[in-house]
Amino acid sequence: MTLTYMNIMLAFTISLLGMLTYRSHLVASLLCLEGMMMSLFIMATLIASNTHFPLVNIMSIILLVFAACETAVGLALLISISNTYGLDYVHNLNLLQC
Amino acid sequence: MIMHTPIMMTTLISLTLPIFATLTNPYKKRSYPDYVKTTVMYAFITSLPSTTLFILSNQETIIWSWHWMTTQTLDLTLSFKLDYFSMMFIPIALFITWSIMEFSLWYMNSDPNINQFFKYLLIFLTAMLTLVTANNLFQFFIGWEGVGIMSFLLISWWHARTDANTAAIQAILYNRIGDIGLILAMTWFLLHYNSWDLQQMLALNSNSNSLPLMGLLLAAAGKSAQFGLHPWLPSAMEGPTPVSALLHSSTMVIAGVFLLIRFHPLMETNTMIQNLTLCLGATTTLFTAICALTQNDIKKIVAFSTSSQLGLMMVTIGINQPYLAFLHICTHAFFKALLFMCSGSIIHNLNNEQDIRKMGGLFKTMPLTSTSMIIGNLALTGMPFLTGFYSKDLIIEATNTSYTNAWALFITLIATSLTSAYSTRTILLTLTGPPRFPALTYINENNPALLNPIKRLTMGSMITGFLITSNIPPTSPPLPMMPLYLKLSALCATALGFLTALDLTLMTNKLKMKNPSQVFKFSNMLGYFPTTIHRTIPYQSLLMSQDLALLLLDSTWLEKSMPKTISQAHITTSMTVTTQKGMIKLYSLSFLIPLTLALFLMM
Repeated sequence: MTLTYMNIMLAFTISLLGMLTYRSHLVASLLCLEGMMMSLFIMATLIASNTHFPLVNIMSIILLVFAACETAVGLALLISISNTYGLDYVHNLNLLQC
Repeated sequence: MIMHTPIMMTTLISLTLPIFATLTNPYKKRSYPDYVKTTVMYAFITSLPSTTLFILSNQETIIWSWHWMTTQTLDLTLSFKLDYFSMMFIPIALFITWSIMEFSLWYMNSDPNINQFFKYLLIFLTAMLTLVTANNLFQFFIGWEGVGIMSFLLISWWHARTDANTAAIQAILYNRIGDIGLILAMTWFLLHYNSWDLQQMLALNSNSNSLPLMGLLLAAAGKSAQFGLHPWLPSAMEGPTPVSALLHSSTMVIAGVFLLIRFHPLMETNTMIQNLTLCLGATTTLFTAICALTQNDIKKIVAFSTSSQLGLMMVTIGINQPYLAFLHICTHAFFKALLFMCSGSIIHNLNNEQDIRKMGGLFKTMPLTSTSMIIGNLALTGMPFLTGFYSKDLIIEATNTSYTNAWALFITLIATSLTSAYSTRTILLTLTGPPRFPALTYINENNPALLNPIKRLTMGSMITGFLITSNIPPTSPPLPMMPLYLKLSALCATALGFLTALDLTLMTNKLKMKNPSQVFKFSNMLGYFPTTIHRTIPYQSLLMSQDLALLLLDSTWLEKSMPKTISQAHITTSMTVTTQKGMIKLYSLSFLIPLTLALFLMM
C-alpha cells in the first residue's frame, strides 16, 4: 500500500465521517458525499495510471456519470426541503415520525 | 211473559231516531236540541220498566238479531246481551245524559253549532250503549272505537284553539295504545277459543292464559286513564263542560273498567293479573290524588278526582269484586256529573273564569249551585248514607279484609284521605271567603234549564245509593265480620283528610305565599310525567328512524366498512409497532458502528 493510495483512502474516510456526523445543515452531508465521490474518482484514475492498464479508465468515467446523477437528485431533494421549510435544518425532517 | 226485552230494544232504537232525522228533514218546527233532549228523556222512562222487570225476574236475555257475516269458523251477528250489568247501566246512563243535555241547553246556548253538538252527544250515547250491550267482542270494539272518535270530535269542539286540538290528539293516541291491547286480546280469543261471543269465551276458563288478560288490562289502562296512560284525561278538559261531564266522568272512561268487569270469570282464576290490576289501580289512585291537591283549574281538579276513582275501581277488580266495581261505576256517575255541572255553572256565571284562586264568596250569590257542589263533594268522599258511601265504603271494607298486597291497600287508604283533602280545598276556595272575581260580574243562576238537572242529580246523589243497593239481586257473598277499627277506617281516613285540609287552609289563609317546595312542584306539574314523556319518546323515535333510514347505509357501507377501517387499522398498528422517531442524525451516525466493528474484527 503506497502512500498515495493511503492518502486517497484517508480523504475518503474523512469525507465518510463528515457525511455521517453532520449537525444542522443537510447540505454539509451532501457536500461530503461529493467529496467521497471525488476521492473515489481520483483513486480509480491513479490505479489506471499506475498499473499501466488504460482499459480501467472506463470505471472512472462511469463513476463520474453516476456521481453527477446522484448529485442532481440530492440537490432536488434539498430544493424541495428548502421550499417547504425555508431552510435545510435537519430537525425539520420529522415526517418519518409516528 | 216477561216483556222487558222488547221494551229495552225500543229504548235503544228510539235513540237513533234523532240521528236519522238530521239526514232527512232537519230542524222542522221545534228546536232540534230540545227534540234530542226529550227523546233521551222518553228513552230513560221506557228503560225503567224494563230494568224493574229484570230486577224482579233476574232473568238475563240475549238477543241475536241480524246475522252479518260468516267466515269459515266465525259467525258475526248483531247481538245484545241484556244482563245485570247492561240493564243496570242503561237507565243510569240515560238519566245522566238527559240531565246533561238539559244542562247544555243552557251552557251552549250561544253556540251557533248547537245542533251539531247535540247530534255528537247523541252519537256518543249510542256508541256507549252499543259497547255496554255488546255480546260479542266485535260489537264491543265498534262501540269502543265509536266513543273514542266522538271523544276526539267533542274535545276539539272549539277547534280554533290549539290546546284543544292537542288535547284531542293526545286522547286519541293514548286510547290507541290501549286499543293495541284490545286487538291482541281479540286475536288471541279468535285463534284459541274460536269465537268472539262472550258466552263461549267465558265458559272456557279452565286454564286461563295470561296473554289475552294482559291485553285487556292494557286496553283498560288506555281507556280508563290508569297510571302510565293517564295524561289525556286532564287534558281532555279543553272540551266544553257538558262533554267533560258526560264523557270524561261518567260514561266513556268507565268503558275500560267495564271491559274488565265483563271478563271477570276469566280473571277470577288468574292471580297474577289480579295483582297487576290491583297495583296499577292503587298507583293510579294515589298519584292522581296527589296531583289533584295543587291544581288551580277547577275542571282539572274534578278530572283528577275522576282518575282517582277509576283507580279505585281497578283496585276493586284487583281484589276480585267485580260487582262492587260496577256498583261504584253506577254511583260515581251521579256525583261526578253533578260536580262537573256545578263547575260549569260557576264557570259560566263568573264569565268563563276557571281558576279557583279567582273565585270565592259564592254562597249567597249562587245558593243552589253551592249546595249541590257541597253535596256532590260529600258524596264523593263517602259521607255515610249518601250515594258514595254505599259503594266506596264497601270497597274499603273489602280491601281491608282481603288477603292481598298490603302496600296497595294502604296507599288506597291514603288516597281516600287525599280525596277529602282536595274536595275540602275546592269547596273552601270556590265557595267561601270574600269574592276574588271582578265586582261587575253578572251572576244569575235562575234558569230552569240549569237548575232542574242540578236538582235531579243532587237528589240522585243522595238517594240512589240506597235505592240501588236495596233493590239489586244478590251478586256476591256478603262481606264477613270485621273489627270495629277496620269498619271505621274509611270514615277515619276521610275525616282526617278533611280536618287537615280545613285547618291548613284556615290557618294559612292570610300568610304570604312562599316559594313552592319540591313536593308542591312535583304535585303541580303532574309528577313531571307529561313534561318528560311527551317530548322524549317522539324525539327518540324520529331520531332513530332518521338514523336508520338515511345515515346508517351511507356512513356504514360507503365509508366505515372498507376505506376508513383499513386506514385506521394501519395507522393504529403502525403506531403501536413502530420504533421510528425520525432521528436522522442518529440513524446516520449508526452507520459508523458496523464500520468500526469490521475494522476491529479484522485486526
